[in-house]
Amino acid sequence: MNRIIEIDEENRYAIVEPGVTIGELWAYMHKNHPDWAPPVPDGAPPASTVMGDAIDRGFSLYTSSVGPQGDNFMCAEIVFPNGDVLRTGSWALLSAKPFYKYGIGPDIWSTIMGSQGAFGVVTKVAVKIYPHPKFKTIVVWGMSNPYDMQNFALELGKLEFGIAHHTVMVQGGNYPLVMTRWPKDKIPHDYKFYEEIGISKWWMNWEIWAQEQSELDHVIDVINKRAKDFKENRAKDGAAIKPQELHPKQIASRLKKPNKIAVPYGLYEAGFLFITWYTPWNECAHFAEMYCAAMEKYGFPPVMWIASIERCRQAICMPIVCFDSTKESDFEKVQDLNRETTEYGLKQGWFNYRPDPYIHIKAYYQAGMYWKYLRMIKKMFDPNQIMHPGRLGLP
Amino acid sequence: MTNVTGMDRLQELKKDIFRCIHCKACKFAYSGEPSREGIGLYAGKQKTVLFEGMIDACPAGIEYGWEAFWNAGKMWIARSILNGDLEFSEDVRDALMPCITCGMCSAQCENKVRSVDVIESLRAACKEAGVPMIEKHQLVDRLVKELNNPYGGKAEERFKWAKDAGLEKYIDNKDAKIGYYVGCTASYRQVEVAIATAKVFEQLGMDFTLVGDEVCCGSPFFRIGAVDTAQELMNKNLEAFKGLEKVYFSCAGCYRTITIDYPKWMPEGEKLPFKTQHAFELVAKLITNEKINFKPNKELKGKVITYHDPCHTGRHFAVDMEQEMIKESKNLMFDMRKIKQRQDEWFEIPRIILRKLEEDVGVKFVEMYRIKLNSMCCGAGGGVRAGYPDFSLRTASLRCDEANAVGTDILTTECPFCWRNLTDANELYDHGLKVMGVLEMISKYNLLDLKEKPTQKELLE
Repeated sequence: MNRIIEIDEENRYAIVEPGVTIGELWAYMHKNHPDWAPPVPDGAPPASTVMGDAIDRGFSLYTSSVGPQGDNFMCAEIVFPNGDVLRTGSWALLSAKPFYKYGIGPDIWSTIMGSQGAFGVVTKVAVKIYPHPKFKTIVVWGMSNPYDMQNFALELGKLEFGIAHHTVMVQGGNYPLVMTRWPKDKIPHDYKFYEEIGISKWWMNWEIWAQEQSELDHVIDVINKRAKDFKENRAKDGAAIKPQELHPKQIASRLKKPNKIAVPYGLYEAGFLFITWYTPWNECAHFAEMYCAAMEKYGFPPVMWIASIERCRQAICMPIVCFDSTKESDFEKVQDLNRETTEYGLKQGWFNYRPDPYIHIKAYYQAGMYWKYLRMIKKMFDPNQIMHPGRLGLP
Repeated sequence: MTNVTGMDRLQELKKDIFRCIHCKACKFAYSGEPSREGIGLYAGKQKTVLFEGMIDACPAGIEYGWEAFWNAGKMWIARSILNGDLEFSEDVRDALMPCITCGMCSAQCENKVRSVDVIESLRAACKEAGVPMIEKHQLVDRLVKELNNPYGGKAEERFKWAKDAGLEKYIDNKDAKIGYYVGCTASYRQVEVAIATAKVFEQLGMDFTLVGDEVCCGSPFFRIGAVDTAQELMNKNLEAFKGLEKVYFSCAGCYRTITIDYPKWMPEGEKLPFKTQHAFELVAKLITNEKINFKPNKELKGKVITYHDPCHTGRHFAVDMEQEMIKESKNLMFDMRKIKQRQDEWFEIPRIILRKLEEDVGVKFVEMYRIKLNSMCCGAGGGVRAGYPDFSLRTASLRCDEANAVGTDILTTECPFCWRNLTDANELYDHGLKVMGVLEMISKYNLLDLKEKPTQKELLE
């Protein structure tokens, strides 16, 4: 099941089977539909699948502009354990194109989305495609703390009819995000080194896509003007706010999609864990501060990656726990860190995702009714519990 | 001989094994370049392949398909063995053995997992655990123990090719400081390669010796996990080549084994007592130093030639180079560029010869889609040609397809083992290619135009 079934430029969707990798779809469209691109995740390996990204409700290079990745998946064909084949959204009508996600009556697809395959086997999906203009660049501003990062990004995110839609990918983090991509004993740990090579303690990237050069120039100009204004008038630490000049090769490397950027964190020691959290955007700095302190408390480098979802309405906050997975004691420390931060995060009303099921259960304890209904839905789709349970703490 | 076991090696590699995150980049050539321009769709003898972007390039995975046969599956097997969740058995062995150890996986890995070392250690540990080797590997193991070569050739016939070619004077040439390690394949099977190499050396005025006590380098036995056999052979060769300052090779596998494997298996602190180099490195150096040109040739003029990078001289050296430089590095962020540059320079060496052939002889040199670090394997290594000949030849045929796709007349390489497998696949599947060693081409068509003899320093450095 690895066919790219259809690309429809007019209705702006691609239909793929579950074995199609993001690399394959990207390359196919690059060659055959060069003015269009699929919403592939930035940083996930090219060998990961389009379908996997959907069913795990992942992330894409357009997320900052167009919203959560799950929203890009319009319709699906799902085979349930009893043999039923369900077509969701407008696909419920056999003759319909996958143009409408919500179909007839209440939406079932959203129930499957994020199920990690625990309910049924998705055999086909229709995913939105977006324009792939030629004018692209990256603008980076550095700062000394996550609050300035959060607040300045939010100011730009609120410019929704124009600037914010052009910034397809707004992502940032702290300098350990650079450090931990290399072996622990082969890289300086002192911030001084990173300062000398022009890396701020925190920074934010704006990846800008535009149809015309003038449009691109305008977006860059607005970002830079607003940054200066923010630095002078509203920043916590204005002196530290400065543009980070990128070499054209660095820009080209960051614009390259898909890429393997998220892979080498295993090199720092021998293992890593992305712990994904969703917070309101204007709470992501609080999250980062809390989580970095917790990671340091447990002896891990405080590695934080944060990206905007839907023009800074939400944040995807991803602490990267770099640890030595050959040591059982490190696993225990990761578990303790995860438990402690989950207890804190849930109290703040933040959501964790793709977690350890033993940790995830804590979220259910605070949302008992939701869990009750999830269990009922699972029972309805998979009464004999033959599907893999995923990591959702479901039967 | 060291007392290090396969299981010890596996333990040493534990951090590598646990660094694997199953990202599956190791399945592909050009795993980070899905939009790479290529030559398009080509319907070959084996299958239709889209030579663009990242494409499947793990021979065992392509052949068998199941997870355990791809590299990521093997890393999971290694992890399970180390965790005590899995025991060695014939089933495990049968998943481990059909891997050509081409190293494509290592080359693609962003977490720098030394997967070839892991797979070889797994095989050694599997044998140590009492699981018998597959029958064909038992046979070659027995032959090499009896005759010092895996082909069943008689020891006294190892240098018959030299006698037949009028090169007898080089056998045990006691005054020479330079040795030519011929290897079993060129001695007993692809004698064309041995004769061509020795004749080129002779034309260059090199005083060299063919060492009468040369035995198999042990490469197949390091690869299949018979490390006890391999170490015995290593010790015999170290004794036989003692006193030489430099040893040249024409076989990629022998060169890799003696240069990379021997120091790992020699007693701690001991170094290889002689310098090593492949013959193509010497020829490339002499071109760069403007000591040699090539003569025009009517028969070759206009022929399309391409070059197959043998895994053992190409990727294995490049990955080893990277590992060694990482070991030395204090700041890898800065040194990574140097590593990439060294690797690029390494892969350019044979291409110096091929471009010179294009310039002087009039051949047209074209590259296949998968080259250098991303070169597709010929299918012969890792004990696969002996153990799984059909799979081995299908893999070679895939490589011949790739050569056909760029309109090749002559498929060149610098390894007699690649030469053999590609030749057999070429004939079996009717690819219509001519397979030749680069030095073989130079010698056969008498292309060498020596402007100035190399100095002894050039030959020894």
